[in-house]
Amino acid sequence: MSRLRRIRAEAVAAWHSFLRRRTAVFFTFFFPVLLVVIFGALVRTQPTDGGLFAEPAAYYIPGYLATVVLFTPLSRVGSEIARHRDDNRFEKLATTPLGRGEWLLAHTLVNVAIIGLASLLILGLVVVLTGAAVPITPRLALLGPFIVGAVVLFCGFGAILGRLSSTQDGVIAASNTIAFPLLFLSDTFVTLELLPGWFAPLVELSPLTYFARGVRALTYGPAIEESYGLELAVVAVLAVAFFVAGAYAIPRTD
Amino acid sequence: MNEAVVAAGVSKRYGETVAVDDVDLSVADGEVFGLIGPNGAGKTTLVRALTGTTPVDGEITVHGEAPTAVDADRIGLLPQSFSPPARLTARELIDYYGGLYETARDTDEVLSAVGMAAAADSWYETLSGGQQRRVCVGIALVNDPDLLFLDEPTTGIDPAGRQSLWSLLEELADGGTTIVLTSHSMTEIQRLADRVGLLQDGRLVAVGTPAELIESHGGESQLVIDTDQAAAAVDALTDADFAATAGSTEVVVDGVSPVEIGDAVAVLSTVGIEYGSLAWSEPSLEDVYLQLTGETFATAGNADSTTVATPTDAPSPTEAEPQEGAQ
Repeated sequence: MSRLRRIRAEAVAAWHSFLRRRTAVFFTFFFPVLLVVIFGALVRTQPTDGGLFAEPAAYYIPGYLATVVLFTPLSRVGSEIARHRDDNRFEKLATTPLGRGEWLLAHTLVNVAIIGLASLLILGLVVVLTGAAVPITPRLALLGPFIVGAVVLFCGFGAILGRLSSTQDGVIAASNTIAFPLLFLSDTFVTLELLPGWFAPLVELSPLTYFARGVRALTYGPAIEESYGLELAVVAVLAVAFFVAGAYAIPRTD
Repeated sequence: MNEAVVAAGVSKRYGETVAVDDVDLSVADGEVFGLIGPNGAGKTTLVRALTGTTPVDGEITVHGEAPTAVDADRIGLLPQSFSPPARLTARELIDYYGGLYETARDTDEVLSAVGMAAAADSWYETLSGGQQRRVCVGIALVNDPDLLFLDEPTTGIDPAGRQSLWSLLEELADGGTTIVLTSHSMTEIQRLADRVGLLQDGRLVAVGTPAELIESHGGESQLVIDTDQAAAAVDALTDADFAATAGSTEVVVDGVSPVEIGDAVAVLSTVGIEYGSLAWSEPSLEDVYLQLTGETFATAGNADSTTVATPTDAPSPTEAEPQEGAQ
């Protein structure tokens, strides 16, 4: 019970602290909305014409979701760690019963809630603004585990970035440097056919690739018969690995 | 009496810089131990060593265990330059930190104890610097620790707030809480500490009760006489076996006890020397600090820097000093 009490206390504080930073809330939800509006409603997909955005609108749902699943945890957890370090909060927490894994779990839960809400918003906007057809099948429920797994994965990654970067600016720069290539080169917005053949193996190395393919198998009609088990397993295994690595990366001492 | 904290041969280096150098220290259960020293002397690093938040060479035990193994419910810490999470009220912050412990003191009781009941529902960042520090002290007290580390707890707090916090710390000490306190306020340390340790360049150069340190290192009491006839006054006082030295408009007489003040005044009256004022002072912990650290200060209203004490065996303050809190 005391472990739950500690995690709850940390998560409630982090949740309130986030919700009351209006700018952070605005950009967390505004950024993905902007992407959907620009690419989904203004640029629009043009099936069969070739080039970028040549697939049906629903094909890009994994990409839109990836923007929040990837960017939000990386920058939020990373900069939170930098802030904690600057303000000597870890020095204080090191003398409390709260463990590093508990701290990361609490902040991951907050990110799951934030990104879960943002994902629902994105799905709704994609359907409404682009007319994307999302097959309503029982397997759609597995979207939750994919999102949770990816958020856990990138929260762990963000914790590692926070440990390695000495400032909040450094965290933001590092997370953008990593996230932008991952976002566009993970079978999300850019199909494999548009990339040089030699690049294809590199796509397989991106954790986001498995999230994108799995989500596409759940939300995109032409791929609805494809399997998602391997993708979910890879996301789950990587989530555990990155969470453990991230928990160890959280500083307790100087 | 049991020892709450024992440190033996503790050293800490940051690269080439020695932050703490072979420190031996013990703090008894229920004792208030004050750590003083110049900026960069190693106070914060030593507190971090004692709380297990920085790895060091040497042996440290807290309640008989390694600092990182001791029951966290028994320890309270207020780090230097600490800021809690933003956009939370004082009440929410006390609730939050209280929630990290198995049991915690009542939030309203803590807020009242640190004088923050009236501003309990204000966001931390909207509070004044002194109010923020009081909330931080409340955070350190929330688990009702029996060993409390406070790194400059009253920095930025106004005199009334400081007095109130001192009273709170005295109540805690009376109740048996062991307190390790760092401060740049000698008044604070002299009032609160049972024993004092002075750090200089990472070394613990003196330890003792305030009275012991003052007796050993504080120098003599002084009588300062404001007069335009300084040279004549010095001659008369010296003839009467007083140790007098002349300034431009004042005479300083060292080693004058309160009962000898009348004798000194009688000497001046006998030779017809007029004076504006007399000021007698006892040596204080501040004199000990200045004596042992070799620091200087400028007297109020006098642009010239007056060296109070520059012992030849004291390290020069201009020598390379470890940076406190170096990462």
